[in-house]
Amino acid sequence: MTNSIADVMDSDVIFIIGSNADTSHPTIGLRLHQAAARGARLLVADPRGTDFARMADIWMRVNPGSDVALLNGMMHIILEEDLWDREFVAERTENLEEVEIVTAKYTPAYVEKITGIGEEQLRQAARLYASPGKRCSIFYGMGLAHHATGTDNVKSVANLAMLCGKLGVPGGGINPLRGQNNVQGACDMGALFNTLPGYSGLDKDDIFSKYEKLWGVTLPRRKGKAATEVWDGIMEGEIHGLYIMGEDPVLADPNALHAVRALEKIDLLVVQEIFMTETAKMADVVFPAACYAEKDGTFTSTERRVQRVRKVVDPPGEARPDWRIICALSDKMGYQMNYGSAEDIFNEIALLLPQYSGITYQRLDKGGLQWPVPNQDHPGTPVLHVGKFTRGRGLFIPEDFTPPREMPDGEYPLILTTVREIPRYNFDSMTGKTKCIDELCPECLAEMNPVDAGKYGIEDRTWIRITSRRGSVMVRAAVNEKTQQGTVTVPYHYAEVPINNLTLNDLDPLSRSPQYKICSVKIEIVKEEDLS
Amino acid sequence: MHTVTLTINDNAVVAERNLTILEVAERAGITIPALCHVKGSRSDNPCELCVVEIAGFEKHGLKSTLDTAGLFCACSTVAQDGMAVLTNSPAVIAHRRERLAIISQTHFGDCKAPCNLTCPGQINVQGYIAHVAKGEYEEALRLIMERNPVPFSVGRVCPRFCETRCRRILVDEPVSINHLKRFVADWCMSHDVDLKISREKPSGKRIAVIGGGPAGLTAAFFLTRMGHDVTIFEAAPKLGGALRYGFPEYKVPKDVLDYEVNSILKMGISIRLSQKWGRNFTLQDLKDRGFDATFIGIGAGVSQPLDIPCAENTHVYTATRFLRAINEGRVLDVGRRAVVIGGNNIAMEAARSLVRLGLEEVTIIYPRAKVEMPANQRNIREAENEGVQFLLMASPLDICGQANKKSRIKLGLIRMKLGEPDKRGRREPLPIPGSNHDLYVDFVVSSLGQMAVDGKFKGGELESLLDVSPRGTLAANPRTSQTSVEGVFAGGDAVTGPKSVIQAVVAARRAAENIHAYVTGQAKAAAESRFNFTRGKSFDDVDFKNFDGINIKLRGKMPERPADRSTQDFDEVKLGFTERMARREAERCLSCGCTAFERCELRQLDIEYDVNINKTGMGKIPLYTKEQSHPAILVDRNKCIFCQRCERSCEYDALELRAASVDKYGHPLGLEIIFKDNCVSCGKCVDNCPTGALNKKSRIVPIQAEAVRRVRTTCPYCGAGCQIILMVKGQTIMEVTADPDQAPNYGALCVKGRFAHDFIQHRDRLKHPMVRKNGVLAETSWEEAIEVAAKGFFDLKAMYGPDSIAGFSCARATNEENFLLQKFMRTSIGTNNIEHCARL
Repeated sequence: MTNSIADVMDSDVIFIIGSNADTSHPTIGLRLHQAAARGARLLVADPRGTDFARMADIWMRVNPGSDVALLNGMMHIILEEDLWDREFVAERTENLEEVEIVTAKYTPAYVEKITGIGEEQLRQAARLYASPGKRCSIFYGMGLAHHATGTDNVKSVANLAMLCGKLGVPGGGINPLRGQNNVQGACDMGALFNTLPGYSGLDKDDIFSKYEKLWGVTLPRRKGKAATEVWDGIMEGEIHGLYIMGEDPVLADPNALHAVRALEKIDLLVVQEIFMTETAKMADVVFPAACYAEKDGTFTSTERRVQRVRKVVDPPGEARPDWRIICALSDKMGYQMNYGSAEDIFNEIALLLPQYSGITYQRLDKGGLQWPVPNQDHPGTPVLHVGKFTRGRGLFIPEDFTPPREMPDGEYPLILTTVREIPRYNFDSMTGKTKCIDELCPECLAEMNPVDAGKYGIEDRTWIRITSRRGSVMVRAAVNEKTQQGTVTVPYHYAEVPINNLTLNDLDPLSRSPQYKICSVKIEIVKEEDLS
Repeated sequence: MHTVTLTINDNAVVAERNLTILEVAERAGITIPALCHVKGSRSDNPCELCVVEIAGFEKHGLKSTLDTAGLFCACSTVAQDGMAVLTNSPAVIAHRRERLAIISQTHFGDCKAPCNLTCPGQINVQGYIAHVAKGEYEEALRLIMERNPVPFSVGRVCPRFCETRCRRILVDEPVSINHLKRFVADWCMSHDVDLKISREKPSGKRIAVIGGGPAGLTAAFFLTRMGHDVTIFEAAPKLGGALRYGFPEYKVPKDVLDYEVNSILKMGISIRLSQKWGRNFTLQDLKDRGFDATFIGIGAGVSQPLDIPCAENTHVYTATRFLRAINEGRVLDVGRRAVVIGGNNIAMEAARSLVRLGLEEVTIIYPRAKVEMPANQRNIREAENEGVQFLLMASPLDICGQANKKSRIKLGLIRMKLGEPDKRGRREPLPIPGSNHDLYVDFVVSSLGQMAVDGKFKGGELESLLDVSPRGTLAANPRTSQTSVEGVFAGGDAVTGPKSVIQAVVAARRAAENIHAYVTGQAKAAAESRFNFTRGKSFDDVDFKNFDGINIKLRGKMPERPADRSTQDFDEVKLGFTERMARREAERCLSCGCTAFERCELRQLDIEYDVNINKTGMGKIPLYTKEQSHPAILVDRNKCIFCQRCERSCEYDALELRAASVDKYGHPLGLEIIFKDNCVSCGKCVDNCPTGALNKKSRIVPIQAEAVRRVRTTCPYCGAGCQIILMVKGQTIMEVTADPDQAPNYGALCVKGRFAHDFIQHRDRLKHPMVRKNGVLAETSWEEAIEVAAKGFFDLKAMYGPDSIAGFSCARATNEENFLLQKFMRTSIGTNNIEHCARL
């Protein structure tokens, strides 16, 4: 997030696109509701009838996967009606001309064809967000990112915010809501194929020499493979060994059956886990790891807030904190890692990452700090890009709309989209162990619109089979208005409904994010005799 | 001017304008009590506990609305310039006390369960039963050991005071509490659990403990935990005292006792065996050797002699001498028939031991009726089941007569009758003249009572200064545990005469606290308040409506060896509950005590303001049934004081609290607590309830005056980074809450954050490294697992190059771990094939 959760209270307008914070980030959802109750105007773009959508001042029920067109259409109107922030654009950005060129063709009529949003509503939405002089924040979630065009979506959001000068002020900004507790931190730490820690890339000699001097090795500069590309690498005989810490790709990966085939083929699979997951079951070596309550460390939240994790109980049996396991393995491989505590590692992070250099465990005892924290006296940075952008001038990178890779056709006429439920988390290996969670949501249900259900003769709680070109699952239907016509919505938490066997492993070309949110499927009612 | 200056309790305070007195006081660090306060809202039914006295209130334009002029609610009165506020004046305190009394009148429930209150050891009985119900056996044992370090023995020999008061008696039968205690102890023994009991930092003080029985071991255990350097001096060659040399093997197996003793010694206690006080060392010696204090816990090992003619016969033993010989495995010539004279617990053990030695006849002789025997009735029944005979209303006269061919001893007896009641109503047995007769036996054991010492203690000058009671026990102040010699403390049977093991444990624990205070010069921690709301002190006071909806479920029967088998040897008779039996039995617990015990503000304030609810009143009957319909929250309206904090703290407006009417004192009638459809089960209402009206269903273990750690950490779920507070006892996370003042969530959490942490201690957690062997994953050592993984990666790297290996890091792992894994891939392996699930 460029801004903080708390400063949504300063927003005059909140634009939520592709996020249902109520279920995915409940405490942030709560603040958004409170901001709305306080008088902030709410603009929502979402195919689903979420609570935010229904209470919004303007709800654009867009067609799935059409976000770039929608955002370009809004910019088209903002330029046309001269609602943009000339001063901000002139002083702080570059390359506006490109935006003008690209968005020129996104006339309301053209946009309506792609998004299903009429001109009147689109104009109102554009005017509401642009509201000159008002503080307008954008919140987005995986509904925007989990597409093969996820990066385009995100760039378009940035273009819109810069065009209207909504960055660098409390109550404004672009605020992606991170799905997992430490996605931000994992990225910050450089657990990425294309950059060293701190987003320093793989091409800066001075950074490399800093690391190589401290670590005493020559570091590789060849770009690595993204997680979702590793599977092909295995199938093609390029990758022979895989070390997985705390992930369960057998359930989590798009087109998960592809991952299973790869894991069956691989020569050496080492898995570090807290439970015997489906992936761990296929491993050659399994290391038992400590969970968050059994080790010290830090997480970095979606608002860049670095906060402590503390050991309160001992790990079960012989389980160890992940970092100790990595150290032992590295020592055995011949590269010594001499850390006595998690704090030792953190101190090295602070030494190497400019964003973290002013953070110490001692400071974190009082409360979290939002990076960048350049020195020990710096109070942290609740709002990014105040006065100027990190790179100097904000660069407009307009994108054209590309249709989703797989769209409904005669054979697979419906869109499948995957979602979260409040009480459950990811693949449920953690939440599924608490009794009241099962009582709160006892069953996986596929949401369908009554019109679609009617066509197939499906009633509430009818057993249906959903099939894509890659796999199929059986699940009961929940018929309601929440889901748009033409779409089936299925939560992905349930092992008994492995919905990622159906999803598409097409990747965004830059971020390599998979397209979880759209693939085409067909449905049929399950015959009684198949149910047993 | 943006500030006001006022005085609170005569101290000047500068504050922002337009703040309430409550807010100003809070910022100035002055605590004003309140039961109904929620920031930013006001109750319709104010508790009036935040009253303060404002001198000359009229000049600030205030009008009194409360009964006492000059008192105002601090939560609704704005601080003004020049105000003189008193937060603890006599009028204020009187008003608070009155209000608390009124509020308490409708509060109905038990603070502590009767079992807890009845246990001499004040063990959190309900707590450990609840741990058993949850399968947390290790934590159950740790909880017991907070107050009783000899649970293995007590779990086998306790007279079970707790079970006599178990409310389940009003439904069917009491919960088999003691069997559960034994179960958790045995479970931890058979699973070789290291309890990891914590120790304070070394104090530099040395304590001598004389006697290695239950009292001595207990004192040593607690003093060691407090950081002192303890040495036990034991006269016998092994530790255990009465547990080893008094209780026979069939009651307390020696291997169990050894395990128990070792688990205490593991704390780091020195021992000196075969060191008899008075012969090998004296109290002065201990002083000279630098011990800062001494605890005497020598038990009551001296038997009252059998005072009849010819009692010095070689085949006449005192019970302690006999049991010691048996427990040391010595072979005795006991003949074919034996009598035991006496009706106490030790007599029962002597008789049962004799049965096991293969005698044809074992008879207990007692001058009164069976019900008057001092022995526990359970022990009497067990002896009877095993074939022990009882000759009642009889008394021995002499054993001087000539024996016959078939036996060695002729025991002269006389029958007894009960005389007229004396002043206290007690009827002394009197011999019936002419009722003499003889009994021919081979062996006599007398068990007529125990003393700590016969006469005075011997050894040196200090010993001679020790006061001894006429009953032959060591005199010690029951409150301070001090004997008549400075720095010498005592407790257990040595002081009280023979009592149960748990009573010796309690005395020794108290002595340890006293010794700690003595050697450190610190004041002793105040005793826990006896204040208690109760649903009825005696069974007669308990309304049967309390048990509506509870079905009869009889207690589990302890598996035991049949008497005809068990009397053939000295092996343990009672075999112990299986895990399934224990879980089932634990589920029978009615959970009488309040699980909000440690957070109940009403109780804390009642204690602080010295409200005597026994006089001013409390709820007597249940007006409402407990409601279980919410998946995560248990509602008990009987405890609701209608403060409305639940409703007002709900951030979703998802809870409705209603009272059909409120009387002039503010007592609510016809309460209803309704969760609306939009409730997201975030649980904030529970954390804001000042009583146990709202409870987390999963939180069934009450926490009572026990150390709890509250640790702030970060929620492991979504990316919001909510700060959570884990409440931890021992190795168990009891509950999760949030701090209303901490960014970014300011007390708010979702259902996952507040409830979904059971995975941490789930039994499916991976506990050991595994390596695939012959196609199957098999547990192995860390060494081998690391070796296999390292060699595997090393070989692949050599064969196909570093880019043939990839690593997936984890967006749920810490920064440190993510950093290290990428470092590992880039250094040890030498590739940039490092990724994590950020985009999944």
